[in-house]
Amino acid sequence: MNRFIEKYINGFLALVLLVFYLLLSWIIHRAGYDHSENLFIAEKIKILFDTNENNLVTVGTTFPTVVFLSSLLFTPFGPLFATVLASISLTVLLYYSILKDFKETSKLPDFVYIPLVSLLFFMHPGLIYAAISGRGVAAILLFFYYLFRSLFRYYRTQTTFYLSMASIYLTGLVFCDFNFIWLLLAFFPFIVFVSLEGLKINKEQAPVAQYFESVNNSSQRRKLTNRAVAIYIIIFLLPGGALLLFGYLNDSHAGNPTYYLTSQYANWHVLGNIPLGDVISQKGTNATLQSQIVFQAYVLLLNPLLLLTFYYFKGKLYEFFTIVAPFILVAILIINTQFYFLIEYYLIFLILGIVGLTFYAGRQFTKKVTWFIFFIVGLLNVFMGIYYFKRTNDEEEKKFFSTLRHYKNWGRKKETDEDFKVARYINEIADVNNKVLVDDAAAFKIVAQLKSLEGIELPANKSFGTVVENPLVGVKYMCVAKLENKYKNFTVLNSYNLAMMQAKGQFITELVYQTENWAIYKLYPVEE
Amino acid sequence: MAQCVLHKMTSEGSFSDEKLETVLHISDVYSYAPIKAALNFGFLVRRDYLDFLEKHNQSIIDIRNEELDEVYINQCDISHMNSFLYLPLRKNSSGELLVAAADPFDEKLITSLVIKFKCKIILLAASDLDITWLGHKLRGEFFVKEAVFSLMKTHPESSALITFTDAQLYFIFGSIGLTFALIILFFKPTFIVLNLLSSLFFLFSILFKLYLALTGSKSELHSVVSKSEIKGVNESTLPVYTILLPVYKEDKLIRKLIWNLRSLDYPKEKLDVKLLIEEDDDKTLNAVRNLDFPANFEVIVVPFHMPKTKPKACNYGLHFSRGEYLAIYDAEDVPDSDQLKKVVCQFRKLPEEFVVLQGALNYFNKNENLLTRMFTLEYSYWFDYMLSGLETLDVPIPLGGTSNHFKLATLLELGAWDPFNVTEDADLGLRVFDNGMKVGVVNSTTLEEANNEFFNWIRQRSRWIKGYMQTYLVHMRDPARLVRQVGWRGFFGFNFFIGGTSFTFLLYPILLLFFVIYMIFKFAFIRSIFPDWVLYISIFNFVAGNVLMIYVNMLAVFKRRYYELILFSILNPIYWLMHSRAAYMGLWQLITKPFYWEKTNHGLSKLSSTSAVVTPE
Repeated sequence: MNRFIEKYINGFLALVLLVFYLLLSWIIHRAGYDHSENLFIAEKIKILFDTNENNLVTVGTTFPTVVFLSSLLFTPFGPLFATVLASISLTVLLYYSILKDFKETSKLPDFVYIPLVSLLFFMHPGLIYAAISGRGVAAILLFFYYLFRSLFRYYRTQTTFYLSMASIYLTGLVFCDFNFIWLLLAFFPFIVFVSLEGLKINKEQAPVAQYFESVNNSSQRRKLTNRAVAIYIIIFLLPGGALLLFGYLNDSHAGNPTYYLTSQYANWHVLGNIPLGDVISQKGTNATLQSQIVFQAYVLLLNPLLLLTFYYFKGKLYEFFTIVAPFILVAILIINTQFYFLIEYYLIFLILGIVGLTFYAGRQFTKKVTWFIFFIVGLLNVFMGIYYFKRTNDEEEKKFFSTLRHYKNWGRKKETDEDFKVARYINEIADVNNKVLVDDAAAFKIVAQLKSLEGIELPANKSFGTVVENPLVGVKYMCVAKLENKYKNFTVLNSYNLAMMQAKGQFITELVYQTENWAIYKLYPVEE
Repeated sequence: MAQCVLHKMTSEGSFSDEKLETVLHISDVYSYAPIKAALNFGFLVRRDYLDFLEKHNQSIIDIRNEELDEVYINQCDISHMNSFLYLPLRKNSSGELLVAAADPFDEKLITSLVIKFKCKIILLAASDLDITWLGHKLRGEFFVKEAVFSLMKTHPESSALITFTDAQLYFIFGSIGLTFALIILFFKPTFIVLNLLSSLFFLFSILFKLYLALTGSKSELHSVVSKSEIKGVNESTLPVYTILLPVYKEDKLIRKLIWNLRSLDYPKEKLDVKLLIEEDDDKTLNAVRNLDFPANFEVIVVPFHMPKTKPKACNYGLHFSRGEYLAIYDAEDVPDSDQLKKVVCQFRKLPEEFVVLQGALNYFNKNENLLTRMFTLEYSYWFDYMLSGLETLDVPIPLGGTSNHFKLATLLELGAWDPFNVTEDADLGLRVFDNGMKVGVVNSTTLEEANNEFFNWIRQRSRWIKGYMQTYLVHMRDPARLVRQVGWRGFFGFNFFIGGTSFTFLLYPILLLFFVIYMIFKFAFIRSIFPDWVLYISIFNFVAGNVLMIYVNMLAVFKRRYYELILFSILNPIYWLMHSRAAYMGLWQLITKPFYWEKTNHGLSKLSSTSAVVTPE
């Protein structure tokens, strides 16, 4: 019996977590919470299956590719739920992988690591958010975990297999979030130190002395350089090659090699990234801590588990530099991007802490002490997760936390959501003979919630350009982003352009429906 | 106790007692004449021996120019003549039988010949190599015919004597006809389907290779035989090990060969080394004759018979092999010194069904020029990863040309090599699977000389690719039977690995041409034929395929720590074009002269094998 439980406990717990996430997602989505990234991907899936035009561009350019493709697998459950199901599945897979690795790698007894990992996945608001928000965070965490796990396994076995697996996972990670390509720079220190492993120098001495010896001998220096370059190439050839190919395909089919990064039709981040300047003035929030060194210190504060990992890794130079790599990554990103860091840039450090523990946990203390330390640190991590959400500058993260916390509102109906209301109105008026002109660059949340795209004229349709020039040719209605709409500059169908069209005397409009951000006009020909 | 020349030499102090004792022991074990054991196991220099005979008034006759009465030779068995190094010539006027012998003082031989011929025997001194040459030439006919036709007689379905069966010809011409008809009737859709099929096949083949490489690289984690196990081997329990060394005009490599054999860590007396020399190859024979140090191999002369191929020579050599295990090496090969012991240990650990072990091949002249670098990249990934991957997935493994180790008895049961197949080793590996047995991989490296000359490389590669095509045709004569024998996994593995390899090489320049036209003419022509989605898939397949091929090449040299070669992987697309050139040459030869053996010249490298590296553990 005990053996049976031991064998299937991880699977059983993963199943419980799956049910837990499904229940939570049902509750919060019913209560009106839909993340814009979730809706963005859902809208692309809808376009793919409901229209017959430009499907290749939709499939071949939507980014993050991994998030889009993993959501496609769950399309039978409906586009809106597909993305959520994908992120739930990936998070549960991550949970299961961590449990499995703890069991196989750390050799700790079940009662020590299961409470810690379960506590985090069941209680940490960040991980719950990753699972049920429908964002690509879950995919990032999963690939991040596998990437670092492969690197640590490589140190143990020195086999090319784990290095090539690391390269494959890094490719996946880059296709979850392009910013991770900057690991190219961040990995530099650890790659140089790992390269020392292959040299015939006195391994008994301290790594710094080994390094000194290798750079001061021309033969060793050449070997060190060759090996470092070789590891670099092995790790980065696949992501580099994949990006090159993806860029090439974008160029040939969308006319721009960086279309997947820069187009609001292809990448949610174009719309979803929050310029740091917009939020930096909000005192007592996370954004104020987003600067060099302070951010890294803050990340450590939010992830006490990582501190514990650092403790376990003392004296292990290669591993230490590997753990430091994501810190270098964010240091580069702080310089390179002027956007507010969303939760994934905090959660990767939590995952990093877990990877580290799976390899070295339990070496210093007795099992009982380890259990105690784990549990206390895990609990602290959960509290710090709550602390993060209280200080977040992202409105959608705030909304998520608020929906989750205010259980009295769980019974609230989705009908109160603005985009849902607009979508419901369009559903009522649109058909093949009464088409509505919608630009999904800004209105993707509305399109995602439409019942059918049959009566909708979208940029994905080849006739869109003609219709925008002369709307009466193809549509009866037009959905316009009002001046208050924060996405108004991403779409041609905004109130400014509407005024320009009207000034040309092309048509007469009648406002038939409006909300705070959207207006729907009926179009009439100008009578001579 | 019967005396021989060695006793005489010992009594005169030119041969030690200790050596004599060992030689007599070997001659007992192998049933050889003592002189044969002394000359073939590294105890005696041929030239010194001939000098000794002449000093004792034994003039060395040139038996090639002696008058022969074939009545006496025909009464002798080639195996016996080969073992005791004699050749009956004729009777003299006194009725005495003149017999050429390597040891004119061999009393035991005289006794046995007297009993056999019932007359007085006079032994005349002759070179052991000439006796061997003439003996095999005159009496080797049966064995050489067996070497050529045995497989065809016992397993006709496995022989490549017939290149295309009728059914295959119907299928090939039917497919070509149908394709042309479809192109004429439905030009565009046919082109789309053909393009899609070929590019998908290309990508799938490469993905399969990547998967194999990853699976293979995982096997780095497991070492079947550890160094300590090899150290702990009790040498007295080691079996006799036959090594076949088929050579043709390799006179320059003979010295190197002896040094390489000497470095093998295996009891000398248990190494049954056969140097297989073609009847018309006087160059190599003379090189052996002129050695100024003891040789540690036995020369077997393969009588002339078409086809003049390496498998025929090996099959012939099998008739004289004594070992429990058998390995094939090329003349220039430098195996890891512990390779044979490792193989024995591994065979002992593996289940009975494993009957062949393939060693990894790599090159000692890897940095000689671009070609040798590319060759090293290819071999590293092929032998270190692909074969291990195939083994793990239980998919038929095509054996490499050398460094494969067999259980001799099973090899004979299987019908040995097909002399009509120019990659007889790959074919044999598949036949092993066909018969419900298995090929394993041994983590030990044999260093070879990489082909460093372009046209020589093309010739060699065209033969290999032609052989793969032959092998594919032979085993696909009855696909249903193949599925039954090796299962669906083995069947698909065989199709993508053996069939796919040749096919992708043939396909590659066509896909490349499309890609280049697409790049240069901005879709103008191509777009008129293919819709966007087909182009999208094709470009993806082609670029992804090339990147992945570059990648798997890099992985393998990384494992071998040939870091300086990693960047050369980027040139892999050009290397593939060379393969394509060879593939078309091979295809042409498959049709026009299927059994023609494109000889590869060895010994072109200016580098020596002394900088050999050991197999990474």
